Amino acid sequence: MPDTTHETLPCGIEYAVMPLPDRHIASFHIRVLAGTAEEETARLGVAQIVEETITKGTAKRSGRELSDAFDAIGAGCNSGTGRETSTYSCTVLPGHFERALALHAEFLKTPTFPQDAVEVNVALAKQELIGLEDDAHALADRLLDRRAWGPILGRHPLGEKETLDRITRNEVEAHWRKHYHGGRILLSVAGDVDPKLVSDHLQSAFEGFGDPDAAGREAFPTEFQPGRFHQHKDLQQQQIGIGWPAVNAKHDRFPTQQVLLGILSGGMGARLFTEVREKQGLVYWVSAWQETPRDHGMLFLGASTTPERCDQTYKTLLREVDRLSEDLTQDELDRAKTGIIASQETKGDSTRSRCSELCNDLFFYGEPIPMEDKIARIDAVKIDDIKAYLDAYPRDKLCVVTVGPRELAANGKG
Amino acid sequence: MQNPYTLHTLDNGLRIVIEKMPTVRSAAAGFLVRTGARDETPDVAGISHFLEHMVFKGTAKRSWQDITADFDRLGSSYNAYTSEDRTIFYGWVRRNDIVKQIALLADMMRPALPPDEFDMERNVILEEIAMAKDQHDHVAFDFLQEKVFAGHPLAWPILGYEETVRALTRDQMWNYMQRRYSPENILFVVAGQVDEKEIIAAAETHCGDWTQAECRTDRTVPEIHAGVDVLRTGQFQQQFVALTLPACGASDKDAETAAAVSTILGGENSRFYWNIVQAGISPRAGAYHLDYADTGVLILYGACNPENVETLVEAMRKEAKLICTERVKDIEVDRVKTRQRTSLAVESEAPYYRLTQLMDDMEYRGGPRTVDAMLADVDAITVDSISAYLERFPADAEGHLASVGPRQWPNGA
Repeated sequence: MPDTTHETLPCGIEYAVMPLPDRHIASFHIRVLAGTAEEETARLGVAQIVEETITKGTAKRSGRELSDAFDAIGAGCNSGTGRETSTYSCTVLPGHFERALALHAEFLKTPTFPQDAVEVNVALAKQELIGLEDDAHALADRLLDRRAWGPILGRHPLGEKETLDRITRNEVEAHWRKHYHGGRILLSVAGDVDPKLVSDHLQSAFEGFGDPDAAGREAFPTEFQPGRFHQHKDLQQQQIGIGWPAVNAKHDRFPTQQVLLGILSGGMGARLFTEVREKQGLVYWVSAWQETPRDHGMLFLGASTTPERCDQTYKTLLREVDRLSEDLTQDELDRAKTGIIASQETKGDSTRSRCSELCNDLFFYGEPIPMEDKIARIDAVKIDDIKAYLDAYPRDKLCVVTVGPRELAANGKG
Repeated sequence: MQNPYTLHTLDNGLRIVIEKMPTVRSAAAGFLVRTGARDETPDVAGISHFLEHMVFKGTAKRSWQDITADFDRLGSSYNAYTSEDRTIFYGWVRRNDIVKQIALLADMMRPALPPDEFDMERNVILEEIAMAKDQHDHVAFDFLQEKVFAGHPLAWPILGYEETVRALTRDQMWNYMQRRYSPENILFVVAGQVDEKEIIAAAETHCGDWTQAECRTDRTVPEIHAGVDVLRTGQFQQQFVALTLPACGASDKDAETAAAVSTILGGENSRFYWNIVQAGISPRAGAYHLDYADTGVLILYGACNPENVETLVEAMRKEAKLICTERVKDIEVDRVKTRQRTSLAVESEAPYYRLTQLMDDMEYRGGPRTVDAMLADVDAITVDSISAYLERFPADAEGHLASVGPRQWPNGA
């Protein structure tokens, strides 16, 4: 990894800088350890309200003035709320890097959370919850998350109507005050930057940002709920989601799990696409994916299909995972590994992508991991590793969620 | 800055454009076939999209299993999509694999349309149509296009209708493909760290024997209908509304200005964001300039709880009127320009991002634009040019109102 530095500021912010001098932009990515898992049970949804309203006013500027300040430097900003972190990312031309960083520090350190902005964003979240009912796929995901992860990690960023009703400006400010401080922030920088200058800018922008002691790194509990759950809805298609516990990103078997996912769902030649869609024509959408909060892992299979085909689709999805122990070929394994490795290399051309991956390294591994090391771990996976993985993590208990006009037939797992 | 583009045309009419990107480690290649839903007749609605799927289902040299396995062996990030006026196939690979990627994509441009696969793939398309019917936005935008462009091929859904897809035959598709996939109707684009001579040689090898067919494109400019149309459905809980107004096409001299108008109205940090979203009226409201080479529309849209729909439409109309009656502010124009500078720098990093822009430039502007030329086009937007554009295409016209959701509004309860 070219000259990547990794330090902790006196204010507690842990940061890494990857200089890429041939680039024409600079990106930074901030993870605040303040996701939905940190919410009080009675105030679900507050993490996202904080993320939405933190830019609506600072000690120096109104929300519009802050937006105008970002626009004046052409900053491309994004934010989001996840299970364990709220993220804020930004890409600018290198000459505007210091200003963009200072503006982020300003809203993260001195938000005013105007009363009207909080009220509006709570009302919008309630409308979005209703809108979620109009998105069958998102609705199935939400139900699956709740049952596969349990009441803490299975929360949806939008919260619940009843808990949104209880969120006031004071609650929003309290969540920020408790969770937004130096010891809970991970930050990465990539692009055409000088690491020494970045360090100076960070020092001056974030100086005195709350408690510097590292916090928010503890594991959250999960509560896997096996069984079948159906929500009736008059739809053209049936949504099917299946989940089961797997390994986390730090586990020795994580590279094997990544390759296994590549074999199942990495490209159009992968097993699910081939067997479920191309050979049987059962679906348009089919996928396998993993979700990895820092200390946990879960594998998922998903598909949507017309009701008369849902039993066959369900059966085929599970059969394809089982079949990996029986007839996996070296060519399939190699293709899956090539897909993962090539994707690392092509996406490496994107500064934003490098930057966000660097921040992920801090979150999952506590240090930057060179791309070459990640590639070597993928490259080392063998057929026997896949078989051993499947033996070690049997799919005897599944969490199965369906949304649509009919339930699955009674036989089968789950 | 040195011009990074190479243009070349093969003897059979296939046009090639190459952009050299010396600092990247990857390369992307794509074929744009100038065919889409607007080139279809009503009885074969959906044939362009169905054909896009069939391109992956086998050639004289490769079975569908070979095609997917070959893509995966390259570790390619690849896909295809169909719109009203184009069908695009692309792959993004490590730079050393670009010639193999070109060989594979070029082979696919001469698909065999195996009969067994034709019937199997029909099921996949029918599933895709069923999926679209469960998506509020998809239903709403299809309804809008059906009404705004009524009587014109732009009114037909890209996926086609269940009935037309069920009725399509392989022979119909074969005949359609022979005409539409003729080399002079295809544009081949490559971007990345490549050697242009090597790319042209690869194109000669893999595309040079494609024979021309008579391919007439009789595209007519549609009438853009005004009025009100409501699709009442209990399937969705929210009401989706859209105001559609005439706008310029993508080849028009004012295309950049038209895009700026939609950004000022409904982009990030826009009038819609502050006066509609952050006013609590709708969590999703925006503006969108939908354009084709010869025509375009400005779509102002939003989704909200059904009881808020009057307030939402009133707020959208108010903003549309204000932008016409009061000159936009300098800061709003500057915002468009500074954002565009960053976007261009980001786009210039990754070959895949460059493909679409190059295709647009070739199709709509007669040739590729350098970064400097693109910036000059954006810099030419002024407060005055926006005022002049809005006189040409008033955003406060009555336009067309589409409403999709549980309420029979505005024609009813």
